[in-house]
Order: sequence, then structure tokens, then C-alpha cells
Amino acid sequence: MSRPPRWASWALMALVLTVSLVVAARPDGAVRTPEDRIFAIAETTKCPTCRSQSVAESEAPIAKEIRADIARRVESGDTDQQIRDYLRSRFGQEVELRPSATGVTGLVWVLPVVVVLLASVGLAMGFRRWRRTGAAPVTDADRAIVAEARGRS
Amino acid sequence: MNAALGSGGVALGLAASVVGAVSMAVALAKGRTDLLRNSRNYALLILLGAVVAVIAMERALITRDFTVAYVADNGSSRTPAVYNVATMWSALEGSILLWALVLAGYIVAVARKFRDRLTDPLVGWAMLTMFVVAAFFFFLMVGPADPFTTFDPPFGYDGPGPNPLLQNHPLMAFHPPMLYLGYVGFTVPFAFAIAALATGRLGEGWLVATRRWTLFAWGFLTVGIILGAWWSYEVLGWGGYWAWDPVENASFLPWLTATAYLHSVMVQERRGMLRVWNLSLLCATFALTILGTFLTRSGVLDSVHAFTESGIGPALLGFFAVIVAVSVGLVGWRGDRLRSPSRIDSPLSREGSFMVNNLLFAAFAFVVLLGTVFPLIVEAVNGDQISVGVPYFNRMAMPIGLLLLFMMAVAPVLPWRTASGELLRQRLYWPAWIGTGAMVLAVLLGARGLAPVIAFGLGGFAAGAAGRQIVLATRRQGWRGFVGRANGGMIVHLGVVVVAVALAASSSYVSQGEFRLAPGDTATVSGHTVRYVGLETEEFDERTVTRALVEVDGDGVYAPSLSQYRFGGQTIGAPSVRVSAVDDVYLALQALPAEDEDEILLRVIVQPLIMWLWVGGAIMAFGTVLAAFPGRRRRPTDPVSGPPAAETPLTPDEPVLAPASDLQRSDAGAGSESSD
Amino acid sequence: MELDEAVDVPRSRRGFAFVAALVAAAVLVPFIFVLATRDPATDRSTESPLVGRAAPPIMTTTLDGEPFDLDRLRGQWVVVNFFATWCTPCRVEHPELVAFSAEHEEAGDATVVSVVFDDQPENVAEFFAEQGGDWPVVDGGGVILDWAVAQVPESFIVAPSGLVAAKVVGGVTQAGLDALIADLAGQPTRDTTASGAG
Repeated sequence: MSRPPRWASWALMALVLTVSLVVAARPDGAVRTPEDRIFAIAETTKCPTCRSQSVAESEAPIAKEIRADIARRVESGDTDQQIRDYLRSRFGQEVELRPSATGVTGLVWVLPVVVVLLASVGLAMGFRRWRRTGAAPVTDADRAIVAEARGRS
Repeated sequence: MNAALGSGGVALGLAASVVGAVSMAVALAKGRTDLLRNSRNYALLILLGAVVAVIAMERALITRDFTVAYVADNGSSRTPAVYNVATMWSALEGSILLWALVLAGYIVAVARKFRDRLTDPLVGWAMLTMFVVAAFFFFLMVGPADPFTTFDPPFGYDGPGPNPLLQNHPLMAFHPPMLYLGYVGFTVPFAFAIAALATGRLGEGWLVATRRWTLFAWGFLTVGIILGAWWSYEVLGWGGYWAWDPVENASFLPWLTATAYLHSVMVQERRGMLRVWNLSLLCATFALTILGTFLTRSGVLDSVHAFTESGIGPALLGFFAVIVAVSVGLVGWRGDRLRSPSRIDSPLSREGSFMVNNLLFAAFAFVVLLGTVFPLIVEAVNGDQISVGVPYFNRMAMPIGLLLLFMMAVAPVLPWRTASGELLRQRLYWPAWIGTGAMVLAVLLGARGLAPVIAFGLGGFAAGAAGRQIVLATRRQGWRGFVGRANGGMIVHLGVVVVAVALAASSSYVSQGEFRLAPGDTATVSGHTVRYVGLETEEFDERTVTRALVEVDGDGVYAPSLSQYRFGGQTIGAPSVRVSAVDDVYLALQALPAEDEDEILLRVIVQPLIMWLWVGGAIMAFGTVLAAFPGRRRRPTDPVSGPPAAETPLTPDEPVLAPASDLQRSDAGAGSESSD
Repeated sequence: MELDEAVDVPRSRRGFAFVAALVAAAVLVPFIFVLATRDPATDRSTESPLVGRAAPPIMTTTLDGEPFDLDRLRGQWVVVNFFATWCTPCRVEHPELVAFSAEHEEAGDATVVSVVFDDQPENVAEFFAEQGGDWPVVDGGGVILDWAVAQVPESFIVAPSGLVAAKVVGGVTQAGLDALIADLAGQPTRDTTASGAG
């Protein structure tokens, strides 16, 4: 590398990045069609018989039924919440693929965050401690060990 | 005859592993290290037992010997021959047999690789551990998961054949063996970890041994996972390749911890640190393979992949408990003596970045494990049935994935020991511009949504950093700049970037629709036009296939189909995909026309960049092969683990500053300008 | 040379691995316990949020074109049976339902209603013509979701009061139904679930 890049290049890069991100974050004007809504609900509803597939993905008869029912309800103007409530009242809480954020279930969202925070803090503390303590003092005994190991090879 | 032969093989394997384990234990306890040499013989006997059993099973399958209950349940005279071979691992008992075979192969490979050091107690303990694991799996085949139970077939009996979903695709033949070569391969580093903890010794030889084997197993597991995703995509009919299904998670969890290990082991080599952490990672990786097997075989969790429930659940859980007890116990007992007082100089260094990397991978593994078992925990606590599905995993994995992409950009350019911000800015200048360019390009091409666009930017950033390292290495060393651990690792990183970008694109920009089409009708999805031409039917022995001929974009006819199986009445769809570098047009025939009607129900899914998932996977595999290429020949006189006589557990075998000959200089961070 | 002195493990970090091992054990032991005490997933399918609640309405026309309303059957036990002709266990249980229906026809204390799950009316009509059974047969439609039927065969026992008393997954037998109803009649307000006798 010849000459270190100037701060101006970095500033330009930051500008370009910011503009790109702003553009990307803007909604792209596509209207949320009823199909999108149906698909969004179906994607997060578990197919009761199919083991780990959502209603959107599965071809089991019950999945097709539920999809059709969601479509009917979306057409008749129910809100997403109402549709989900109905499905939950029939099939139980387990039909929701997205675990609720409240109660005991909410732990599944909270625990990873807590654990990662604790681990990060621990690592940061470790970094700081390693910085503070100097290198392990090298004694003559250490040098003797090294010399012996080197001499053996 | 086959059943008897097979049972005999299993019995031989069990006997050899039990006797081998006992004799190793006795030899180690009594200090009779000369007897440890026998481990090679026991290993060969175990392999013989496994091979005999596998030959018996394959013979029974190929000849449709329905006196073997497993063949009667899974084989069929209507199944094509090559699928019969793969039928061995299409159901529970046979897959345990495959596991035993692969494990036996690994044990013999270890015995051969360490043939000059079999009398070293470190190796002795490793062989002992592997014999115990082998004994467990052979015990499964004698007890709960016996593949050779007999059956008295009535006259004219024909088996149902494997699940039709499994017959569809030749990938079914390769996916499990690849996966097992990876999965089972983690037994070897685990065995050496136990040996290190038990003897209180970690030598340079240990390090290199476990690293190589872990890389080997990791490579196969990566390929196995990618093949599994490819099979899901091609066969299951909903255009998806990853559902965070318990079986998928079971294979992904050890992959995560093994990847963490492959990075943190480099910190151990350089600074002698993180020894106990690495040992724990290896134990965790193996424990996760057993836990994953339990979760998917015991029936406690639903899964698309589920074989069947069976009695092996308690056995596997018991084995898992034993492994956990032994690992945690050994770490608690010995761990502090193995810790080294070393420290790192600065978090802004490669060591520091690898530690952050490990934290991220551990967090990822925690999230995946928690999400998979959480429904069970909640049920135990308050009896509620809940689901934790794709929305949770995607939401949690995404920030971790983005952070990992960022680390992939930063870590390779960081030198060991310490770096300044100035150095980082200097080295990352061009990679950062590449990342910016990637982001701008994506936005210009119409990509919207913060998460995928950031992913594209970070992907470019990481690719730029990896590319930089490779360019510098080849400049210095010519073609050798592509091989060796660090350079191969950069190629693997490039593969990961390709996969990450493909993941972001294909999951964020899906378009789909379901259409009722009469012959001649067209439909449009995301700029692609499909035209339904007509139906054609073909009869086979075991099924009737009805194909819908669909023309895509006026150029090429594709034929998604529905197969009606005579035996069992199942209707299985076979999707058809038009692959291109830009996107895949995925066609799935949902419903045939009703009586007197001619409209089919066709689902069309367009996902961008799917092809690059598989290409990225291939690049990762290729990079792994390059990374395994030895960087520099080790001299036969290089020091290895200290002699067993000097039982001095407080002394680390390697001094804090490792002897120069041990460092593989050619991959001392190839491309790193810092001298070391 | 005294090797023990050569390495000085700082006091504060001694025991760190030990503590970490303890924490790991504290987490893993309950975890293994939870795993060990779980039932297989398929056992859970017989629970239903409907049991103990009023039966969802079925107000439609039968395959013969007659109007049908489940509420009009109050006062007797009703076996609401969801089936399809392509489902083998459904075909196997059909004679049992025929026998059950015949047994209770005189007393008029129990009857059967069949709901078609994802099948063609012609197939169903043909099936009933061949196999017998003269109780109302209605098409599934929205009923399936109201009753949260995921697979066939499933049967719901509706008490004379109109409450859903039990859900049975899998094929039923005449004897099993009789026993179940006798059991439920003794405890009319209790939530019960049972798995199929088939």
C-alpha cells in the first residue's frame, strides 16, 4: 500500500452507505395485496398434522382447508389478529409458529439476549483484565524448560 | 441366513468393542502400556463385525430377502435396484447400522494413523473412549434397534418399499452417508478431548490430530447439510430448503460448535490459551450429535424427517446423560490444571476476533438448541403446548448471521497479537469499498429491505477481505497461496459469503402464486410467464405419474408431476425447477383436474439466487479440501507429547512460546504482514 | 528444578473451570430430566380445546339434500365422525359405526353424524350405498376448521347437553364407543380425552 487513504475517502464511503441504506429502508411502494396477507398469516400458522411445516408450505388436506379459510376471512374483512385468534381457539396455542412474547413462553425470546449480554460482558471483562495484567513473568525456570524442549528436537 | 450373518456381525462388533474397552481400561489402570498396542486388533475386529453386518443387510435388500424384518418393512421388489442399497439408511435400524460402520471405519483409521503411538496413554484413552462409543451403538443393534429381526413372510409377500418421498431422488443415496461421515467423525476429536482431560496432558501432537480430524468431519457435515437442503428443495414441493426442523437443527448444532472450535483452536496454537474451552467445545460437539439423534429418533418432537418412534429414545438419552456427566465431570476436575496463564495483548487482534467469533457461534448454537427444545420445557413447566417455528429462528439468527459476516471481514486482516485502528483502516480500505459497491449495486437492482441489503454489503465486505488475503498469499507464494489452512479457509469464507448472499436474496424476495390453468392459459409471477400446455400420463409398476407440461418464459418445457402410488395410496408431487443464475422458477403441481374439467392447480414460486446456495456449498467443500492440504511437511523429529513417565500435570506440555518448529509458518495467517 | 513453581496460576482464576462445570451441570441435569419425562408427540394429538365446550354448530344440508342442524339432535349422544373414503382406518371403522347406530336406533339415545373430509360427494354416496349406514352425512367445508380436525378418522362425542365430551383420534369400535359413552354419562361435566380403540 503506497499512501494511506485520506479520511475523505472514508467520509465518502459513509455517505454512500447511508444513502443506500436510506433508499433500501424506504418501502418500495408495492401495495400489500390480500394474497400477501394470506401468505403472511399462512406462513406463520403451523399445519396441525404435518410436523414442522407451515400451512403455506404443506399440501395436507387440513392445510389446504386452513389456507382457504384464511382467504375467506381476509376477504370478509377480518383483521390478522382476529384470524389468528380464531385459529388459536380451534387448534390451540401450538398452531402459532411464532412463540408469544409473554409469560413463560416469552423466555424463549429473552433468554438468548440475556445470555449473549452476559457472555459479552464476561468477554469484555476478560479483555480488560488481560490488558491490565502484564505478561506472565518469565523466570529462569521457564527459560530452562524452553531450552530443554528446544534441545530435545 | 442373512439375518444370522448380520446378527453375527453385530455380535462380533459388540464383543470386540466391549472387550477392547475393558482391556484398554485394565491396561491403563495397571500402567501396562505395552498392552495398549492391542487396540489395533480390537479396532480391526470391530470393523470386521460392522462390515459383515452391512454386507448381510445389503445382500438381504438387494435380493429382497423378506425373512429379514427390516427388508420386509422397507424393501420392495418394485423399488429400483440402486435405491435398495440406499434403503439401508432410510429407516431407523439401518441408519444405526450405517453409523456403526462409519464409526468402525474411523476407529481403524485412528489406529492406523497413530500406529506408532498406540502405547501412549493419551492415545490409549482415546481408543478406550471410541470403543465405549462403538459398544453403545452395537448394543443398540442388539437391543432396541435390531436390524436383523426375522420375519415369516406369507406367500407372495412384497414389502411396501421405502417412503416414496425417499425414492424420488438420487440425492437420497448420498445425503445420509455424507452426513454421517461428518456427524460420526466428531467422535474422534471427542475421544482425544476425553483422553487429554483424563491424562491431564495436552501435547502439540494432540492439537494437530484433533484439528485435522475435526476439519475432515466438519467438511463432510457441511456437504451433508447442503445436500439435505438441496434435497428438501428439489423434492418437498414448497420451494423451501431449510425449515428449522428438529432434524435439520440436530445436524446444524454440532456444525456450529465445530466451526467455533476450528477457529479457537488457532488461538490455542498461537497463545496456548482457551485449552479448556476447546476441550469443552469438542465434548459439546459430540454430545450434540447424540442429543440430536435422541431428539429425532425418540419421537418427543415432530419432524418432517422423523423416522419412527422406537425404544431407542431412553437408550440415547441415557448415553447423552453419561457423556454429559463424564465431560462436565472431567472438566470440573481437571480443567483448572490444564488452563494456561497466558493472555492476549489486545482485543483488536486475530485472537480477540476469534474469541468474538466463538461467542457468536456459541450464541447461535444456544438459540437453535433453545428453540428446538423449548416446547418440551414449556410443556414440563406448565403443561401448555406451544410451537417455536421459523419466525423465531429467522428473527434470532439474522443479527447473529450479520455479525458473523462482519467478523469474517475483519478477522482475516487482523494480525496476531495486536493491531492499531490505523492498520485496520488501511487493510480494510478496499474490502470496505467492495462492500459498499455491493450494497449500492443491490439497491440499484431494486433490492429493498434493510436486512438483506445490509447482508449484501457485509457479504461484499467479507468477500473483499478474503480476496485480499488470497491475492497477497498468491503474490508471495504462487500456487501455494491457495492451499494450507489459512488460504483454504479464505476460500471457505468466500463460499460462506456466497451462501449468505443467496440466503438473504432467496428468503427476502420470494414471489409466488397459485393458479388454476386450463390448457393454453398463462400466468405471470415476478416477470416470468408460465404457460400450461397439457397433461401426460405414464404408468409404472408401482405408480402412475401424471405430468403437467408447462412452458416457462417461452423457452423450455418443464414437467411438474403428481405420482399416485398403488401401494399405500399416497400421492407424491415432484416439482420441476427452471434454474438460472438469476433466479429459480419453481413449479409444483398441486391438483389434477377434477372429472370433466381440464384445469390444473399450479403453484409457481420465483426465488432469486437459489443456485448460488449450492455453488457456495461446493466452494466451501473445495476450500475445505484446500485447507486440509498440508502446508509444510512436519519433520519426523518434531516434538510430540511428553513421555508418559513424567506425570507432571501442572506443567503444560507446550511452553507459552511454542517452539518455532511447531508453528506452520506457511499458514501463519497468510497475507498477514506482521512478523511473528 | 521445581516445576510446580514455574507456573503461577492466579488465585482468582483457579477454580473457574470447576465453577463453570457446576453451572453446566445445574443447567443440564434438569434439562435431561425434562427430556426423560416427555411423552411421544403422537400421544398429544388427542387433546383438544373443544372438549368441555359447546359443540360448534353444524348447520348445512346433507348429501341427500336434506337440511341438517346439529342442535336438533340435542337430548341424545352424537358421534360426530370425520372421515374420507380414501382413508383406510375410516373404512375399517365404518362397520363398527353401522353396528353402533343400529344398536342405539331403537332407544334413540345415541346416533351418528358423518362429516366428509376432503373427498368427492359421489365417492361418499357410493361408499354409503355399499357399506350401509343411514345417518346424516354432511360435507366438511368450514365445519372441519370449526372442529379443528387435522386428520381422519377423528370422532367427537357430543353429550345430550350439546357439549363436546370427548375427542377420539383414530378408528372407533362399537364396544369402545359404548364404553366411552357409559363412562362419560357418569360424569357429564368432566373434560375427558381418549385415544382411539382402533
